[in-house]
Amino acid sequence: MGQTRHGPGRIAATAALALAALIMAAPLLWTLLLSLKSNAELLRGTGTAFAPPYTLQNYADIFGHSAVFGWLLNSAIVSLGVTFGVLALSSLAGYGFARLRFPGRDVIFILVLFGLAIPEQSVIIARHQMFSALSLHNTYGGLIFPGLAAPFGVFLMTQYFRAMPKELEEAAWLDGASRFRTFWKILLPLSLPAQATLGIFTFLATWNDYWWPLISATNSDMYTLTVGVASSQMNFAQTNGLGFLMAQAVFASVPILIVYVIFQRYIVAGVSRAAA
Amino acid sequence: MRRALACLTMLGALLGCAPKQAGPVQITLQRFFGACDAEYGSSTNVAAAEGECGIVTTLINKFNAENPDIHVKVNVVYWPGYDQLSAELAAGDPPDLVTMHQSVISDYAQRRLIMPLDDGLASVGVSPASFTRAAREGVMRGGHVYALPFDNWAPLWQINMNLFRAAGLVQGGKPVLPHSPEELLAQARQFKRATGKPYLLQSMVNEPAAYARNLFTFLMQQNAVIFPDPHHIRLSTPQAHRVLALFKQIYDEGLTSKDQDYTAATSGFLNGQGGVYLVGTWMIGAYEQASKQPGSPLANGYAVVPYPQLYPGRDATYADGHSWVMPTAKRSAQKTRAIFRLLRFLKDNDFEWSRTGHLPAYRDVIDSARWRALPHRAGIAGLVDAATPLPPGVQRQFIIQQIVSEEMESAITGQKPINTALADAQRRVNDVLFNLL
Repeated sequence: MGQTRHGPGRIAATAALALAALIMAAPLLWTLLLSLKSNAELLRGTGTAFAPPYTLQNYADIFGHSAVFGWLLNSAIVSLGVTFGVLALSSLAGYGFARLRFPGRDVIFILVLFGLAIPEQSVIIARHQMFSALSLHNTYGGLIFPGLAAPFGVFLMTQYFRAMPKELEEAAWLDGASRFRTFWKILLPLSLPAQATLGIFTFLATWNDYWWPLISATNSDMYTLTVGVASSQMNFAQTNGLGFLMAQAVFASVPILIVYVIFQRYIVAGVSRAAA
Repeated sequence: MRRALACLTMLGALLGCAPKQAGPVQITLQRFFGACDAEYGSSTNVAAAEGECGIVTTLINKFNAENPDIHVKVNVVYWPGYDQLSAELAAGDPPDLVTMHQSVISDYAQRRLIMPLDDGLASVGVSPASFTRAAREGVMRGGHVYALPFDNWAPLWQINMNLFRAAGLVQGGKPVLPHSPEELLAQARQFKRATGKPYLLQSMVNEPAAYARNLFTFLMQQNAVIFPDPHHIRLSTPQAHRVLALFKQIYDEGLTSKDQDYTAATSGFLNGQGGVYLVGTWMIGAYEQASKQPGSPLANGYAVVPYPQLYPGRDATYADGHSWVMPTAKRSAQKTRAIFRLLRFLKDNDFEWSRTGHLPAYRDVIDSARWRALPHRAGIAGLVDAATPLPPGVQRQFIIQQIVSEEMESAITGQKPINTALADAQRRVNDVLFNLL
């Protein structure tokens, strides 16, 4: 039995969704609201957030920190570096696993998949020592290289290339295209939806990463945004500097928000694809 | 191909590049206390600066301005910064000076990760004899000075005098304080009857240290031996049972706030929710400011005193402190000299730092008229003699405080019998100490 456009079921569903949306958005709105209040007022209680006066002082304090734009630049370089690196390596590896026949291919592919099961925590000390030996700490390389090992990216691209019809390649070969040219001109453009998904998630994960930059980029000139904003917090920031803390959270999330807005279509498609 | 090689070379240069230094001797100073460049980024006016961040920032600015042959580069780290320091030490690239809690010094000194400073301090005329007793105990290990002390801090009784007055607990303008557990309970009951509010405000939820600081304080007051040696804690004792039973009774009778975390308790005191807030020296400035605001529950009614002596052993309060350490590394003689000049400068400006509320680490500052003229300082001056750190050889004091606090919370809130909680705390701490490298 169908429902009318304004039937009680539809109204109830809309109300439930609105409530869920409100619950989801409430912490974000609360964060924004607190960021517009002075620390001294919030020290007395967060109930003051519902009444004026409001201030942009917390944001001025962030922008007044001379290093903040350096942190933004570092985050952008590292996030873009990792993203492009992962896309290049995962595409090449994915194509190789999907299309090439070479000894040990399946074993190597399984080994790559094992990488999905190894938590970062278990390799962090060995990695830190290795990067020390190579003098890579406090360099962009030190922040970018660990992110390039992306088993999920290899897996995703392998599956994507496997699903492509072989006839496409065979047609190109008949026209005299080399294997690399076939990959570059035919298959790679067709894999753009998967590339977009992988690229967006890689960028977001790298932008939000805190732990590795914390212990590798120990020189404040090399801080990424996450480490930088954390370092600028006072002791007991959650109590004495709550407004500043919330402004930092808003500030750090703005670039990510922009990425979401621009690539929203790809993100939704990517999540659906990953779920499928 | 050439283009590709050129690109690779440029990429390598980009990835491998690191800042180069030139000109004046550069010292890298790594600290917590946050960043406040917007307000104090270029200020050298130390006297006008407020708060930990403001004062330390202007101090370094002033040093840089007065010493053109030295440049102090500041690395601000998220509190307490020990993850970063450990990573830097492991990478063989530590900073030149680092802020370190005195309770943490043993962790690094035992492994020779920080350097003794005796000779260097002597070369700039700083003698351990000038330190307060608490500061000296805090920074000396095995007869050597491992850090320049910056301050000491301890938990205090922050008092709402307006509520104390309403409860009849003010005499001669001063708060009436307990001198025994029985008096504490009696005064707390009197306070609650008169005001309807809890006598104590405490951070009791997600609290990693306050419980332990209370326990250590009242064990010290009973002359209890908490650590028979640096690798063992002794908590299954009648003295410890006595302290936990007292706090449990306070909790059971509703004489304390319940279910508040640090933030809630801190603002609760500002809002007049209780009589005594057990929190450290660092809150003096904020509460003093509130006491000057008409309409505030603390208006003209704020006092702060050291923990009262409840047991007839000795007057003691658990204390820790901030200090400056020099991580072990090869440095030129020129740089080493520059570092000690900076340490001397920090020592000479300890009064300015003490405006944060922390206790000065130097006897001459404590004895100075200008320090005693600061709000409430005369009242807490006695803390200089009562402040007592844990024995210097004890490592992992942060995690020890956390374990003890977890078990105390279980006992006080009734989740575990007191004896069980104390036995568990003792076992867990001794496990940590046994497994030290």
